[in-house]
Amino acid sequence: SDLVSLSAGARIQAIRSLPMPFNERKTIRLTSFVIIHLCNISNNVNFYLNLNFLASARQHLIIWQDTLKEIGGRFGTSVLSYFLFLKWLLQFNLFSLIINFCFITMPQIVHAPNISSITGFRGLELLTGVGYFNQTVLFYGGYNGEVIVSKPAYNMQLAYFFTIAAYLVLCGVSLIYSMSRSFQKNFVLETGPVSGEAWRLLCSWDFSVVNEKAIQYNKNNLAIQLKESLSERLQEKNKMSLSDRIKHLSLHLLAWLLSLGLALGSGAGIYFLGTDPELVKASTLLLPVVVSLINLIVPLLYSLISTIESYSNPRAKIYISIIRSVILKMSILGILCFYWLNFVPDNISCWESFVGQSVYRLLIIDFIFCLLGIFFGEFLRNVIGTMCIQSLGVPEFDIARNVLDLIYAQTLAWIGIYFSPLLPVMQVLKLFIIFYLKKISLSMNCQPPKHTGRAAQIQTVFIALLFFPSFVGVLSMVAFTVWSLKPSDQCGPFQGLDTPFHTIFNWTDSIQDFPESNWVWWIFENILRSELFYYLISLISFNLSDSILPSVCQEGKDKAFLLNKLQNLQKERREMASYRPQVRVSRVLSGLTYFLFASSYR
Amino acid sequence: MGGTSSKLPKDLLSEYQELTFLTKQEILMAHKIFSELQDRENGPYSSRVSMEKIHTLPELKSNPFRKRICHVFSTSDMKDGSLSFEDFLDLLSAFSDSATLEIKSHYAFRIFDFDDDGTLDARDLEKLVNSLTGETDDTRLTGEEMRQLISNILEESDIDKDGTVNLSEFQHVISRSPDFVSSFKIVL
Repeated sequence: SDLVSLSAGARIQAIRSLPMPFNERKTIRLTSFVIIHLCNISNNVNFYLNLNFLASARQHLIIWQDTLKEIGGRFGTSVLSYFLFLKWLLQFNLFSLIINFCFITMPQIVHAPNISSITGFRGLELLTGVGYFNQTVLFYGGYNGEVIVSKPAYNMQLAYFFTIAAYLVLCGVSLIYSMSRSFQKNFVLETGPVSGEAWRLLCSWDFSVVNEKAIQYNKNNLAIQLKESLSERLQEKNKMSLSDRIKHLSLHLLAWLLSLGLALGSGAGIYFLGTDPELVKASTLLLPVVVSLINLIVPLLYSLISTIESYSNPRAKIYISIIRSVILKMSILGILCFYWLNFVPDNISCWESFVGQSVYRLLIIDFIFCLLGIFFGEFLRNVIGTMCIQSLGVPEFDIARNVLDLIYAQTLAWIGIYFSPLLPVMQVLKLFIIFYLKKISLSMNCQPPKHTGRAAQIQTVFIALLFFPSFVGVLSMVAFTVWSLKPSDQCGPFQGLDTPFHTIFNWTDSIQDFPESNWVWWIFENILRSELFYYLISLISFNLSDSILPSVCQEGKDKAFLLNKLQNLQKERREMASYRPQVRVSRVLSGLTYFLFASSYR
Repeated sequence: MGGTSSKLPKDLLSEYQELTFLTKQEILMAHKIFSELQDRENGPYSSRVSMEKIHTLPELKSNPFRKRICHVFSTSDMKDGSLSFEDFLDLLSAFSDSATLEIKSHYAFRIFDFDDDGTLDARDLEKLVNSLTGETDDTRLTGEEMRQLISNILEESDIDKDGTVNLSEFQHVISRSPDFVSSFKIVL
């Protein structure tokens, strides 16, 4: 009877969630229909089923479904999460490509092709991006800002500005949404002294692996991990002496100092390399190659450094290595952006195209190094490990390193969108090729990682890393460029303005002539430009964050209290002999538990 | 249903969509695979497929729990683990992407309950660990390790201290491992 009071969608979901055989669910559904019909409650079952149709339609559009299923079947869910992440990034870039092409590039090509000086096309341009590509629509300089006067009039400046702004806003919203959903689903507050290690290992048995050898491999791994966790439990009982603890702490400190020193050193090296005029003239490819080499070698040095440290649990080791790699990559990107935004605009004409070309070169060289990495790091390493030095063994697929490489490349691509609207073409091609190459290399060369622990939480961490510092950094850089930097005078859609943001001012001024559009100007002047608006937003966001964390802790306490009540009820029910009646009778109890868990996952 | 090329009637299809977590594609695929299994069944036609035939599916062939899965989802009176089409859909629905944590943990509990008595006692846990670890001597847990492991497990999850893990305690433990939902999955 309580099913009747729910809405149609909630009722369907509740019936599906009943842990009964099919025929019993069917009976319950029929009786609820009869009651509803008798009470003349209107419901919209068809509408809900149509939403299901959308879900099935989406399934048709999913590319790579068979490949992904094969990968999951052989290597498990954690390796699959890398490929799903890659596919997700591909969707971002495809969307950017489509809107940039439709709204910015096509009008430019159709109405005002801006090729003033055509130099010959030599193959090297694919690597360096200069020369022939200079004046094409690949880079910022290829667009001009005149309003296209043919009917209908098309304001190129506004189009450029709004397309990029809309894309970045949509990206941000989508990232925040994914992050909050992933956080809600996967992040578990560790309360209580026991870690639940044994249960966690047993319950994370991957049912989606179907390959027999992989299952055998997983079984062996699980046995080893269970034995390790047993011996860890025994060791935990021996407390560490004070001198041991000081020794461990000083080793940790030393390792951190070395890592930060390496990161700072790389940043400084790149800065001097970039500002040295002779080296710059010698080869434009020198800087990208050095950056990619640093990205390749320094993480290896980091893993070497981490061998001197001893960690209490393997998860801490993974997180700390991720943090160090992120610090390295973000400091490199930070130095490069600092150089591009502070020194380049004053010294180079058409500086936006120059920045676009630098980003293009960085992406291409990064791609080449990725290909080399697959060949040397996985193929040759496999050959060496199986034929020459047997003790090395088959290489493991390092998920963290691969995902961080993806995040780094995506940050570069996002930085480059403002300066080179067609850059997503390259990123899309690159991601396509990397997907297939990684899949082939995986099947031929690698084995799944041994420690699969907490794959879901690491997923959340990766999405959070994509949002901050990656996306937020890009957003602040683009905002700084648009707000305060003077666009170059000779090229680009914003030539002649003080800052690109002045297009908005010009547009709102021109709108004032049309009284019907006054509301736009009103919104702009009074809301978006007022400090009160931002103050209100910050107030709301702080209040939300203030109230979420205490409420989660409070829910934990509530859960413990209700669980106590549950066990008392269970004790009374335990006299029941057979299983089935217990299920029906304890539906009250399972309803209570369902409420508990549903409320904690809201 | 029956016959090699019979199509699923539309009203049945929408009923299955409403009562399970599967999408239309998944139901049609399940129907196709189930019909193929029925055709290969020797002997007189019946609407149930025997456990041995279900075990020939590539998704279940090497699964360490295939016998328990068939027994849990079977509604056969003869308790032989044979599945009708609705049982098969129940199986796929519980293992699907969109199934709730409550359904998955409920069925996981029943699958791990090897003696079907409604609780996970030390014998069930021992059988569970043995199914999930290797069969070779060097990977199998020794008797001492097994006892230690089971006492650790009971210490972590047995709240009412009765020596067994019941459904609510199991679901409480499951709620603390977020990997469970993504790994308790079988896709055709």
